[in-house]
Amino acid sequence: MNILVCFTTVPDLELLNDDDWVIDKNLQIDTSFLKPTLNSYDESALEIALTLSDASESVKVPVELNALTIAGTGATTILKTLNSLRFNRVVRIDSHADLRFRPAAIASILTQYVLEHAPQDVLLLGKQTSIGENAKTHLLVAEMLGWLCITQVVGIELVDMKHLMVTSQVDDGQLRQRIQTPCVLSIGDSPNTFMRVPTLKDRMRYGKRPVEILSTSGFQLSDETEELIELEVIRHERAGILIEGRSPEEKARKLYEAYLKRSVLLKERLPEH
Amino acid sequence: MIFKGILIGCSSNIVLQAKELNGFIRGHLSSGDNVGSTIVFYSKIEEKNQVLGLVPTEFVKLVRVTRYQPENILQALQAVENAEKTHLYIFPSGNAGSELAVRWSCRMKGSCLAHVKQIECSETQLIARKKVYANNVLGSFKLTKKPYCISLTKGCADSQAITKRDKLTITEYDLTDLQNDPFIKQSKWIPTETTRDLETTTFLVVGGRGMRNKENTESLKKMADAMGADFGVSRPVAMNAWASMNRIIGVSGTMTKPEVCIAAGVSGAAANYAGIEKSKTIIAINTDIHAPIIKASDVVIIDDYKAVMEELVKIVLN
Repeated sequence: MNILVCFTTVPDLELLNDDDWVIDKNLQIDTSFLKPTLNSYDESALEIALTLSDASESVKVPVELNALTIAGTGATTILKTLNSLRFNRVVRIDSHADLRFRPAAIASILTQYVLEHAPQDVLLLGKQTSIGENAKTHLLVAEMLGWLCITQVVGIELVDMKHLMVTSQVDDGQLRQRIQTPCVLSIGDSPNTFMRVPTLKDRMRYGKRPVEILSTSGFQLSDETEELIELEVIRHERAGILIEGRSPEEKARKLYEAYLKRSVLLKERLPEH
Repeated sequence: MIFKGILIGCSSNIVLQAKELNGFIRGHLSSGDNVGSTIVFYSKIEEKNQVLGLVPTEFVKLVRVTRYQPENILQALQAVENAEKTHLYIFPSGNAGSELAVRWSCRMKGSCLAHVKQIECSETQLIARKKVYANNVLGSFKLTKKPYCISLTKGCADSQAITKRDKLTITEYDLTDLQNDPFIKQSKWIPTETTRDLETTTFLVVGGRGMRNKENTESLKKMADAMGADFGVSRPVAMNAWASMNRIIGVSGTMTKPEVCIAAGVSGAAANYAGIEKSKTIIAINTDIHAPIIKASDVVIIDDYKAVMEELVKIVLN
């Protein structure tokens, strides 16, 4: 079974200070000084794919793991890590274009890659990136390919060469569905799916394998149906009254006396003793 | 502008969907130039009257389907709708709404934006606003291809209680014979653990990454229980499996508006803060004076959350 994980790297926005949130005339925010990290949902997708590969021998379903990103050279470190983790094929489609709000363009590249370069049975994508928050790419790819798409996936098991058991989060529970490939699976909030760290031995043995690099000029990019016209930083400011004291007890007492004691709410909700 | 609101009555959060849609319509589409109707999907006959009591417009298309499956709903929409005559489709917040909005726009060759907070309509375009950059920035987007398909973001409108209409003009469709997606061979729904309703809580304690492990998370929950507060967590806490996913507060989980919210060991990441920003009073307890939550709170204690909360519980109980 050929599995392709499509991932992207993003800056860790939690490291930005208030003063760093500056929007320039090109509607850009400078995050170039932040080290790129794996987009959280994509990280889950990569780890879930590795878990499938781990299980492939026991269920007798051979798995070929592929990983693809559309990025510049900034993604090199993560691509090497994926090589070390024994992904069979690691591909970078070289692009320095601003793809933050271009889900249709990204979806068209991924679709053409699958149709023209490397046929796949399963596409795994994170549900959105922290920058664009478009939440569209996986759905557009599925529509372009005419494939089944399951969203908010939290777990996948191999059944046989043509079938998977997929667990996904829905509004009021979880759905476990036995599905036939080919399919697009969009990974949602899947707990405990932080990507594993390769061993030093595997880093030495596999980390230096070449990354396949393709040019975007070989792909036709779809136009977007929406256009970004303005960005505005959201500021949250409240009074921030500091409660001081010499001990946690003193601070807790002041908090209680000044803000909680008279609260009808608290009295009403306290369990009876 | 001719608009259609979509409600998915097969889902247990139908009341919340209806309140949000009602609030959004009143906030953005109440002028006389706009004409709207609602398309309601439902499965069980016995739920028909309940969903009819929730619709925010006079004109209703009531569509019965076997169950919620995106492909079923899209096919049903195609059967009951002429998209050329509709300018704007409004899908509910949540994952199902986003999925349907994107796929419907793709099939109708329109334009789409997911998780929309506000809109401005004109004859030739729709300006829609949504949060981007991990909820730190508000982006404005121009949509030019009709039909415009948007899904709402959680908490985008002040939920408006629905008053049952005296007059409804209903067109009914029974599409229970639609075939299920042939690529789905078997499906089983597993209900998740139910928690007290975080959406309507008046007193909330939220724990963040500062709790450091599962044991501390469970301990903070016990303290919240002792004070009669509901307990929620930030996404990283649930991703570490220190708490269940249905306790997440923020864009990945529940949007709350309590009277009092105690944020313990919470950094104040925008995605989590969005879930408590409508609190009347936010009290932050954190060791890091530079954490974003400090400026965004009404009251601040710089200290170890555990020590302060333990003392607070003692004081409250005595």
